[in-house]
Amino acid sequence: MRSFYLTVNVYFAFVTKSFQKRMQYRVANLAGLTTNFFFLLVHIFVYTAFYAASTEPQPLSLNEIITYFVLCQVSFMLMPFFGARSEMTQAIKDGSVALQLTKPVDFHAYWFADECGRACYFLLMRGLPTFLISILFFQVTFPQHLTVLMAFVLSMTLAIFMSTAITITIFSSAFWTLDTSGVSGMSGSVIMLFSGMLVPIALWPEGLAQIAEWLPFAGLIDIPFSIYLSKITGVAIWTAVGKQMMWCLIFIGLGRLFLRRGFSRLVIQGG
Amino acid sequence: MIEVENLSKTFKVYRHRKGFFGSFVNLFSRKHRIVHAVDSVSFSIQRGEVVGYLGPNGAGKSTTIKMLTGILVPTSGGVTVNGYIPHRQRKENAKHIGVVFGQRSHLWFDLPVQESFELLQRIYRIPQVQYNQNVEMFDALLNIGKFFRTPVRQLSLGQRMRADIAAALLHNPEVLFLDEPTIGLDVVAKARIREFIQQINTERQVTVVLTTHDLDDVEKLCKRVILIDKARLCFDGELVALRRLLSTERILSVDYAETYSDISIPKTNITYQEGNRVQYRFSPEEISTADLIGAILQKFKIVDISVQEPDIEELIKTVYEDNLTLEQKFAEADAIDLTNRKSMG
Repeated sequence: MRSFYLTVNVYFAFVTKSFQKRMQYRVANLAGLTTNFFFLLVHIFVYTAFYAASTEPQPLSLNEIITYFVLCQVSFMLMPFFGARSEMTQAIKDGSVALQLTKPVDFHAYWFADECGRACYFLLMRGLPTFLISILFFQVTFPQHLTVLMAFVLSMTLAIFMSTAITITIFSSAFWTLDTSGVSGMSGSVIMLFSGMLVPIALWPEGLAQIAEWLPFAGLIDIPFSIYLSKITGVAIWTAVGKQMMWCLIFIGLGRLFLRRGFSRLVIQGG
Repeated sequence: MIEVENLSKTFKVYRHRKGFFGSFVNLFSRKHRIVHAVDSVSFSIQRGEVVGYLGPNGAGKSTTIKMLTGILVPTSGGVTVNGYIPHRQRKENAKHIGVVFGQRSHLWFDLPVQESFELLQRIYRIPQVQYNQNVEMFDALLNIGKFFRTPVRQLSLGQRMRADIAAALLHNPEVLFLDEPTIGLDVVAKARIREFIQQINTERQVTVVLTTHDLDDVEKLCKRVILIDKARLCFDGELVALRRLLSTERILSVDYAETYSDISIPKTNITYQEGNRVQYRFSPEEISTADLIGAILQKFKIVDISVQEPDIEELIKTVYEDNLTLEQKFAEADAIDLTNRKSMG
């Protein structure tokens, strides 16, 4: 029991240190915040124009769409899109991974904790301000019941875990290719599309939506936000959350496997 | 403590074709060659030894260290450290070793030194009492208290190195691997770190494996050296033995009290003379140092006398540049070396 506590203690320390080290780069964060609002505005203008031009009833109201995209920008930095986070790749590329391996820590768990710390940081320092400012300027809707909010928090947490697990899996390709910008760029676009980041899956044509259902990536964006907007309710919430959990475990397993295989063929860069 | 047997590591290195057209050909067919970074190296290190692991750039020093620390998986051969197989029991092994790479810091770049230390305390589960004792001791010896609250990225190289070495010893490891710990440091900083390593070794019986290009490090710290060149072991024994093996000639400097007309001594050459100061070159095989000094004292009055050993920088240069003769020399000296090692333990 004590041993378990001490282990958790270590990885929790990694989470907080990861948070802490990012606190030092405030200007970068401010610049990022501006970018978030730029894209938020683009999305909102486009959809407002669409909705104004359409006479047919849509599966999501304009307010819901706006809320959806506000949430997208709130969580953008937590998602495994593009090479935004490459510290792990960097460590493999410049060889500092060597020093991390001389410590008695589980490498996957270490990066998982580090990524979670990063997620916490961006949730609080980027996501929260984005949300608060958006409330002032746009018509953002809120969950109607406490249970909906709780389900959303659970689903969002799982989305972050999933994102972290996917990130590590993608970046473990650095062991083979050294430069992950190709892999992460390619996978980033696919993930972005199928997560529902660009267009909510509710608005997709039947066939394509079916594909998105079967892919894991809806669990990152579409599932938690649909729960927030009460588009997924009742028992369907449990199925959706269960699906997130399953994909989480699969990606954690894959990531661990890739890392293990990667290490066995590791060449430390720079001697 | 450390057992290495027939350890080998090979890498595949892809050959890139030259030029614009070649880069397209590279996309479809890649040729590679096998590079032997470490080639059937064997040695064994006892508890409490300080061993210098030396060789020119690219000889395979760092690769060996990385296999000993569990970072790299050997291609073949066996390694055990503290009874653990490093690449299979990486985490277990890691608890009992300390590692310092001179060119890289294992402290958290953006955090103050203290926070890195506290994180390490949690990682290695260091009891508070032991942690406090160690920090106190390292402060006394390395003066780390002065920059304990400074973020690592703002430290000078010397400070960073001191912090790194202290950090590697917080959990009282039994073995300390130092990969070029004094690289880029000034004389004072180097001396300080050497003293510290020496003290840790004698007080705590920490086994130290040191790779370095700084031969002062070796002279000050290591009794035993292991030399590798082109991935192969080429010498393993006492530093003194290496010196004896290679130093065919020595210099004797004498300051005479009076001016003498004939100062020549049989079996020596005068290489330098200015006023009453004279330097003789001699070979210990032809005349022992004691006999030479005796002969001088018999004939002349002297003020000062000293014998200079060639420094190992010279020795190792000979080794590197002259592999063939070295092998011959080793063949001749094998018998001597064996008896030496037997008497060692």
